[in-house]
Amino acid sequence: MQAEFDLIAYLSGLVTDEVIAAFNSYLAALVLLAMLIIISKWQGLGIGSKLVVGTIRGTAQIILMALILTQIFEFDNIVLILAVLAVMSLFAAYTARQNLDEIPGVFATALPGILVGGLSVMTIAWLLGVVELSGEMMIPMGGMVIGNAMNISALVIDRMWSNAQKQRGMLESALALGATAYQATELTIREAIRTGLLPNLNRYAALGIVTIPGFMSGLIVGGASPIYAALYQVIIFIMIFLACVIDALIVSRRFLKHMFNENLQILVPFPNK
Amino acid sequence: MTHLLELRNISMKFNDTVLFAGFDLDLEINETVGITGPSGSGKSTILRIVVNLLTPTTGTVLFKGVSITEYEPRELRRKMILVPQEASMFPGTVRDNLQWGLSIHKLHASEGKLESALEEVNLNCDCLDDIAGNLSGGEKQRVALARALLLEPEVLLLDEPTSALDEKSTLMVESAIGSIIAERKIGVLIVTHNPAQAKRFTDRLVKITGEQEGK
Repeated sequence: MQAEFDLIAYLSGLVTDEVIAAFNSYLAALVLLAMLIIISKWQGLGIGSKLVVGTIRGTAQIILMALILTQIFEFDNIVLILAVLAVMSLFAAYTARQNLDEIPGVFATALPGILVGGLSVMTIAWLLGVVELSGEMMIPMGGMVIGNAMNISALVIDRMWSNAQKQRGMLESALALGATAYQATELTIREAIRTGLLPNLNRYAALGIVTIPGFMSGLIVGGASPIYAALYQVIIFIMIFLACVIDALIVSRRFLKHMFNENLQILVPFPNK
Repeated sequence: MTHLLELRNISMKFNDTVLFAGFDLDLEINETVGITGPSGSGKSTILRIVVNLLTPTTGTVLFKGVSITEYEPRELRRKMILVPQEASMFPGTVRDNLQWGLSIHKLHASEGKLESALEEVNLNCDCLDDIAGNLSGGEKQRVALARALLLEPEVLLLDEPTSALDEKSTLMVESAIGSIIAERKIGVLIVTHNPAQAKRFTDRLVKITGEQEGK
């Protein structure tokens, strides 16, 4: 009874005037979502249901995460922090799979890439003293690194799969000359990595002039020195690029076994017209 | 007697539809065999089966008396090279395309050898530095042939080599194929929907039904 009482009191304590105001803004923002869904339907973009499900799921996830973060931010144990980042990687791989549901092996391919790319970069950054060992720093930074690794995983897999469908003749020409699976797809892989990095490279080039990154803004709002915040923003970009490249190299090689069998025959079906 | 290439009782079924069944074929060194048949009868599928890009529903393919499944796929595809119907050019120059086939087998050819390969397919265009994607259809087809010949295959598999070409390009590609057949000690298997064209090159024609005709 005591525990139940505490929980109710805790939850009641969360509903402040500030939260009620934010909730009203959230409801108003749903008008923007409705506009987006109407445009999607009108233009046949086919993303309407994904947006609705994503909004409901995303809202629940991020509220839950925000509540958990207040506890996790107190962590200063590398094993616990890496465990939280590993759970985030699991969910990232699951999300990549959900958005590429017609392609086989996405989860099993993306997970090692995201885990190794994300966790290795965070660990190296900690060992080099770039990032201090606190949940407050490592988890938001790790989240950004993992989120970007998730995006590039999905992009590399999608590009490799769709190119195998659209440029089947070129793929077959390469295999017919005796190419390995990797040699036959090398150009696609390089192109996918470049394409995947391009949005971040653009943000990097326009850093501080066109793009005001959320991480830096958050640090400044939280009371950090602007120079400290700015330097950490550059650091996070470098970490993202490294994690993305490591992730893409792992994902592209692991995905080959879903595109070719042991006889180097193409497993990718012809596209549905 | 061991043949260079033997296809025995090959059948292929896609989604419960039988494409062809009971297909047999032998090919010897210095022999050119044509495979004819109507569109959609599975002619191109046979060439893909020969190089193990597709596995037949039933039947066996033997290269020099050994099942192709016993060969490592890359080794098999270096000995028997398929030139697909649409000659796909890899990004880069003609030189890049010719070298690419060699580089995947850790080989390299001198400038002179690349030029000789182009001459062999009657492409005297001084075009080693041209972007391969900008070539005409007939030129691309001949670059694809030269790219295959540089690997010195024992069997060359040509899938409708002139089907997408105009009359002038067709004559040039036909001339190139004629030179290859005359000069190289290899077996050549040509798929074509044009029996008249096949008769110009081939020692024998095999219909996709398996029925054989002498020249």
